[in-house]
Amino acid sequence: MTEKLDRWADPPLLVLASLAAEPKHGYAITQDVAETMGVRLSPGTLYAVIARLEARGLIEPLEAEDRRRPYRITAAGAQVLSDQAERMSRVASLARDRLSTHPGLAFS
Amino acid sequence: MNAPAQRPNHDQPGHDQPGHDQPGHDQPSRTYLARLALALYPPSWRDRYADEVRVLLDDSGAGPAAIASLAWRALPAWMGPSAQLGDRPARIRSHLSTGLMAWSMLTGLGLVFAQLTELQSYRLAGHPLIGWSYAVFDVALLVSALTAGLGGLPLWLLMLRQARRDMRPGVIVCLLAPILAPAAWLAGAIMVSRLFGGPGGVSVAWFAVVAAAGFVLATAAATGPVLAMRGLRPRGPALHLAAKAGGVAAALMAVAAVAILVALTGLVLWVPGFPGHHHPAWPGVFLVLAAVAATVTVVSGTRGARAAHTQR
Repeated sequence: MTEKLDRWADPPLLVLASLAAEPKHGYAITQDVAETMGVRLSPGTLYAVIARLEARGLIEPLEAEDRRRPYRITAAGAQVLSDQAERMSRVASLARDRLSTHPGLAFS
Repeated sequence: MNAPAQRPNHDQPGHDQPGHDQPGHDQPSRTYLARLALALYPPSWRDRYADEVRVLLDDSGAGPAAIASLAWRALPAWMGPSAQLGDRPARIRSHLSTGLMAWSMLTGLGLVFAQLTELQSYRLAGHPLIGWSYAVFDVALLVSALTAGLGGLPLWLLMLRQARRDMRPGVIVCLLAPILAPAAWLAGAIMVSRLFGGPGGVSVAWFAVVAAAGFVLATAAATGPVLAMRGLRPRGPALHLAAKAGGVAAALMAVAAVAILVALTGLVLWVPGFPGHHHPAWPGVFLVLAAVAATVTVVSGTRGARAAHTQR
């Protein structure tokens, strides 16, 4: 369970979430992830993730534009992201419910 | 979608800072460091992603911290290799290139071993172990060279035809390197032997010169086809055959390397007439070099053959 809870911050998940909006190249991904999720991915981390996601068929490269190659999420990638989002949502809901039953730990 | 980051959080576990440039950061040194960091990656990874990473580094103005992170990430890229990369022919070419370079180095080390031990007739009296090792080494080296040569011939001819058709003389010279470089070395070795050799052969200094020249020319002989493959990007059955032959040749060279290990260990331990018996450091260094070259040869050969064999 702890492992699942930790997975919200996995770089692959962040990249998939970023690409769910629209295809992006490397720099656009890092900018989007930093802006929307508050996490900075270094070039080394980002391309390790891109290589892994591409190998698993979760994202695919598009034609390069001026040496910048955009990537888009595949149907399989969208399914993985959806499943993971559902799991995270259940965890978040559970956490809210349980925290609300403890007055001392209630959060706003 | 490219709005600047508002809330960077450098404290998140598993994420690292890009180390953005500070005012006055030295752009040429960053480019140089980035090139060094990318050089640490497997060739297949570089072929596929290096350009994109360079652009990302330029766009983000990443500094030394990001480049250090990039260098660090090269390690897992080697561990979980380019089987991850989508372009199968590029993957095969990459493994073939790395394997060819390592195979050449290992062959060079094997020839040095033969010259310094086998041809000096060091034997272990009353025990056939070293003699057997010599025999295994000879057969494995010969069959490996034949397999690599015959298996690579169709690819070589294919590239030669393509280079001639496209009128690329530089690529033709690269392709001729495996013939020209050994011929040049042989001619040089014969000349040195005739000019400076005596009844007991050449001096240690001249032997070192000839051996060093051999390694330089072996590197040139292997680099030629590697550069040609980079330029022509061949694909198809000839590439697959070369990769499979490379796998077999690599396995045979591993056998030869084990034979070297056994023979050299036997000589160091049991043959007092062998110089390494009294000074085991040099055989030790030699064995480490051979082990590294054999490992790279086998790993690349296996990966190349596997990539050629599988459909994906």
